[in-house]
Amino acid sequence: MTAYILRRLIATIPVMIVVALFVFFLLHLTPGDPAAVIAGDDASPAEIEGIRRKLGLDRPVWEQFGVYIWNLLHGDLGTSIFSNLPVMTLVKQRLEPSLVLAVATLVVAVAFAIPMGVVAAWKADTTIDRVVMGFSVLGFAVPVFLVGYLLIYVFAIQLRWLPVQGYRPLSEGIVGTLRSIALPAFALGMAYMALIARITRASMLEVLSEDYIRTAHAKGVATRSVLLRHALKNAAVPIVTVIGIGLALLISGVVITETVFNIPGLGRLTVDAILKRDYPIIQGLIILFAGAKVLVNLLIDISYTFFDPRIRQ
Amino acid sequence: MTMATTVPAESTATSKAGQSDTILSVRDLRTQFFTRDGVVRAVDGISFDLNRGETLCIVGESGCGKSVTALSIMGLIPQRAGRIVGGTINFEGTELTTQTEAEMRKIRGNRISMIFQEPMTSLNPVLTVGAQIAESLSIHQGLDRRAARDRAIDMLALVRIADPKRRAGEYPHQLSGGMRQRVMIAIALACNPQVLVADEPTTALDVTIQAQILNLMLELKDRLGTAIILITHDLGVVAETAQRVIVMYAGRTVEEAPVEELLRNPKHPYTRGLIGSIPRRRTAAQRGRPRTRLQEITGLVPSLREEIPGCAFAPRCGFAVERCQLERPTLDIHGASHRAACWEVARVTAVPQ
Repeated sequence: MTAYILRRLIATIPVMIVVALFVFFLLHLTPGDPAAVIAGDDASPAEIEGIRRKLGLDRPVWEQFGVYIWNLLHGDLGTSIFSNLPVMTLVKQRLEPSLVLAVATLVVAVAFAIPMGVVAAWKADTTIDRVVMGFSVLGFAVPVFLVGYLLIYVFAIQLRWLPVQGYRPLSEGIVGTLRSIALPAFALGMAYMALIARITRASMLEVLSEDYIRTAHAKGVATRSVLLRHALKNAAVPIVTVIGIGLALLISGVVITETVFNIPGLGRLTVDAILKRDYPIIQGLIILFAGAKVLVNLLIDISYTFFDPRIRQ
Repeated sequence: MTMATTVPAESTATSKAGQSDTILSVRDLRTQFFTRDGVVRAVDGISFDLNRGETLCIVGESGCGKSVTALSIMGLIPQRAGRIVGGTINFEGTELTTQTEAEMRKIRGNRISMIFQEPMTSLNPVLTVGAQIAESLSIHQGLDRRAARDRAIDMLALVRIADPKRRAGEYPHQLSGGMRQRVMIAIALACNPQVLVADEPTTALDVTIQAQILNLMLELKDRLGTAIILITHDLGVVAETAQRVIVMYAGRTVEEAPVEELLRNPKHPYTRGLIGSIPRRRTAAQRGRPRTRLQEITGLVPSLREEIPGCAFAPRCGFAVERCQLERPTLDIHGASHRAACWEVARVTAVPQ
C-alpha cells in the first residue's frame, strides 16, 4: 500500500516538470519578441528594453529556465507586470472564494448525483430512472451562465432567499459564506452532477448484474444494504475517477461562474490577466491549476485502494 | 411388463412416510420468463418433495430448468424478467410463492440457503470473507459485530480452511477457487438452514477439488441435519451423493426414483440416453473386441418458447408413438418409489439398457 502511494507520488514528478517546461516556453513560443508583445503596440524601444531586462530575457535561455525552476521550488511564481505585486500574493488574495466555490460545488454535486445514480440504476427502465436521466441530459446541455441567471432570478430576485451576487469571506462568518456560495455552487454543479449521476448509474447497473449481488440477495440482505454495502463500493472506482476528471473541468466553469456571480476569485484573476496580457500571472496560474489537477489525480488514485483491495498490492 | 398406476400428485411415495418428514413440497411449479421473442416456459409443471436431512439430486442438461427451479424456491427470479406463474412451494407449512419480499428475506440465507456454481464470482470482491459470513449471522441471528465475527471464524474452521482467523480478514481474490467455494458453504450453513440448495457447486472446480467439496457438503449435511437439493448435470456426482434423483427435461420432470434404482433400472428413454452417454471403462472380457460407440441422444432440446402439447422428448425419442406427440405423459408410478413420465414405459424397459 505504501509502495503504491509512493509509486503514484513519484509518477507526478515528470508531469510537473513537463508543465513547468511548457509554461516557461509559453513566453518564448509567442511569435515575435516577448518583451515587445508584453509592452504593447505604442511602447518605445527603451520601454521594451526595460521589460526585457526585468523579465531576465536578455540572459541565455538555459539560465532563465534554471532561475525559473529555482524560484518555482521556492514558491516564487514571478511578479505581475502591471501591479508589480508577487503573483503568489495575488493568488493568495483570490484563493479563498475559488476554493470555497470548488469545494461547495463538489459537495453539492456528489451529494445529489450519487443517490440519484443509485436510485436510477436500482429502478432501471422505470419512470424514476427516466426522470433522473432526463435531468442528467438537461444538466449537460444547459450552459452554466444560463443556469446561474435562472437560479438568481428564482431564488434571489423572486423568492429573495439568497443574495444575488458577491462573496462573503469566511472571516465574516460561515453562514454568510454559505449563503453567498449556494447559488454559484448549484449553477456550477449542475453539469458536474449530471456527469456523476450518469456514471454512477452505469457503474451500478453493471455491478448489480454480478453474481455476488445475487449471493447477497440469497443471504437475505435488505435491498438498501445490497445497494450501498455490496454494490456501491464495487461501483466506486469509475465514479471517483469521473469526480476527479470533473474537478479539472470545473476550472473553466469557475471562470464563468465567478463572472456571473461577481465573485473575486482565481477565475476572475485569470480573465483579467489574459485581457491585460500579464504573462507572469498567467504562467503562475497555469502551474497552480496543473498542480491542483495532479494533486486531485493523486488523491483519486490513492482513494482506489480504499475501495478495491485488489489494487492495494 | 410394468403396471402403470396413475396417482394424484399429492400422494407421492415420499409423503407416505408421514407429513412431518417432508420439509419442502413443490407442486406443479411453473416459472416463465417474458422476453421480446415471447414467453419462455423455463419450468413447466415440476412437482417433488424433499425430506428432512435427505439429499435430492436434480439432473438434466443445460437449460432444462434446474437452476430456475432453484431460484424459484429461493424467490430470486429476476423480477422484471420472469415470474412464478403457477403452482405452490410449501416449506414447513409456509407457502413461499405468496410471501412478500420482506418475509422471503427472513427465510433466505437463514432457513433455506443456496450455493452457486461460480465460486470465483459469487463472493463480493471488496468485502473480507469473514465479513461476508458474519453478515448472514448479524442479519438473521442478531449477533453483534464481535460475536458474528467469532462465529464466522468458527464457520471457516468448520469448512476446514486452515488458519481461519487470518483467512477471515482476507479478500476473495486471495483465496483459491476451492477455498472460495468452502467460504460459500460457510456462508450458506452459517445460520444452520433446514434446506441447502446447491446449484452445480463443483462444476467450476478442478476434478481433485470437486470430491473434497462434495464430501465436505455431505459430511456437514449429516452433522447439521440439513436437507440438500443438489443440482447437477453430472451423473457421477449423482451416484456419489444422492438418495433420490429427479431427472428434468425441457422444464418438466421425466423421471424420479431412489438413486440406485434409477441408475440400475432407468425407465424413461431420456434417462436411459443420459446414462448411456457416460463413457465407461471396458471390462477385461470386452478387451480385444471392437469398441462400442458411445451412445448419444440425437436431435436438439426443444425451444421452450413454444407450448409443447405432448411429451417434450418425443421428437428425439426412438420409442415415440402418435400419442406422445399429442398428449402430455403423466408422472406415473412404475415400481416402488419410481415414477416416470412416459406413455411407452413397457416397450422402453423391454429393451435391455
